[in-house]
Amino acid sequence: MTTYHFRSDADVKDTLRQFIIRSINLPELADDDDLFESGLVTSLFAIQLMTFIEKTYGIEVDSDDLDIDNFRSLNSASAFVLKKSTANAS
Amino acid sequence: MSRYLPHWLDDVHRTRYAEFQDFVRSNVEPFAADWEREQALPQMALLQIAATGYLGASLPREHGGRAWDIVTFGLLNEAFGRGSPSLTSVITVQAMAAMAILRWGTKEQKSTWLPRLSNGKLIAAFALTEPNAGSALHSLTTTYTRDSLGDYLRLNGVKRWITCAQIAGIFLVFGKLDERPIACIVPRDAPGLTIEPIRELMGFRAAGLATLTFRDVAVPLSNMVGKPGFGLSHVAPIGLHFGRISTACHALGMLRGCVEDSADHAARRKVGDQQVGQFGMIRTLLARMATDLHAATLLCLQACRSADDGATDAFEDALAAKYFTSRAAVRAASDAVQTRGAAGCHESSAASRYYTNAKITEIIEGTTQIHEELLGKMIMARSGMIPNPRRAGQ
Repeated sequence: MTTYHFRSDADVKDTLRQFIIRSINLPELADDDDLFESGLVTSLFAIQLMTFIEKTYGIEVDSDDLDIDNFRSLNSASAFVLKKSTANAS
Repeated sequence: MSRYLPHWLDDVHRTRYAEFQDFVRSNVEPFAADWEREQALPQMALLQIAATGYLGASLPREHGGRAWDIVTFGLLNEAFGRGSPSLTSVITVQAMAAMAILRWGTKEQKSTWLPRLSNGKLIAAFALTEPNAGSALHSLTTTYTRDSLGDYLRLNGVKRWITCAQIAGIFLVFGKLDERPIACIVPRDAPGLTIEPIRELMGFRAAGLATLTFRDVAVPLSNMVGKPGFGLSHVAPIGLHFGRISTACHALGMLRGCVEDSADHAARRKVGDQQVGQFGMIRTLLARMATDLHAATLLCLQACRSADDGATDAFEDALAAKYFTSRAAVRAASDAVQTRGAAGCHESSAASRYYTNAKITEIIEGTTQIHEELLGKMIMARSGMIPNPRRAGQ
């Protein structure tokens, strides 16, 4: 598992953006674009994104983290990764 | 599968696979036809498989499981799939419920249920399908409502075609709470739950399918797995993912059975003074089946390995493996009957059993058409065919 110990909001957003754009081939993705608006992604995308976050950042998403606001946009997903990383490190 | 095992499988995988095949040859295949005829798995078969620890194959040791990787889980399902569709179904649904609880359950839920699922003292069933919501999962009409006492939910609804429901001690039941999908663990002895066996299926006849009716069943809030709103987006996909891997490998076992049975017949049976295998038309059928087996083996093991790696593509790989292998098993079963001729139409032939059971692997854990829809949508999405997103809050 790849674990990045030093990360910034910009780095995380860039990595997540690349994954999302590769998955759904968007020409561009703004930081506050809603990923779960109807028709944008498949029903499996939510769990694919979660799997990517876990594998890339070495964090475990548990049932307490099940909040759509943690994954709704690049802004929220990046904030979630940084929050979990900080919690793991402390 | 053995002829087509890829080079990267290590000795541990190969040794365990040989152990699974030995178990199936001794304890499963000689009796499987009787189980299907009697439409029930005997207690002895369930005790035997429980004693091996196979029902907790991929659960961690801390929960009493064998902690085997998913490749080994796939090999287990392949070996059992060759022998008995119904007993393999127990492995399938046990994994579906257990892996969903392992992924999203609370510490208490895991410590309460997983050890007993691992040692087979308890069988679980995955209660998702409804009379009017098979493939259309978002049409679930089963409801949970908050009980005035506060610590309970009230469950009402009907679930149909639930595999292993006749023998299960707990059910992972999907429904909606305030229109938000949830999943809860419901014990078999919960007052208000009735279980009506479904008999006379064309295949999987001993897999204990049943209709479940819930009338004001009290479910402790502490039995909720995950959170409201995530039952279909996060809990069900984990179960279905392992269900698809299991079913793909199950179909692979049937496919291998078709190849082996047909090749054996072609080598031994004579028509006039010629072996059946000397006819080009039979060799064509064998070539088709064996090539499908080869391709399906690689797809199934790739799906298992992706799951082991936690790969983002794991879900798509499982869909592709199940989609291809279940259809290949149906084709092979048809060709196996054709190879045998009239003898293949009799219940006593393995080919006839593969023929009636293979089709069911195209239905369970998502129909072929649902797999096409999902895989097609994934391909479309990568091609940029999905509308642009709206801004959050708009």
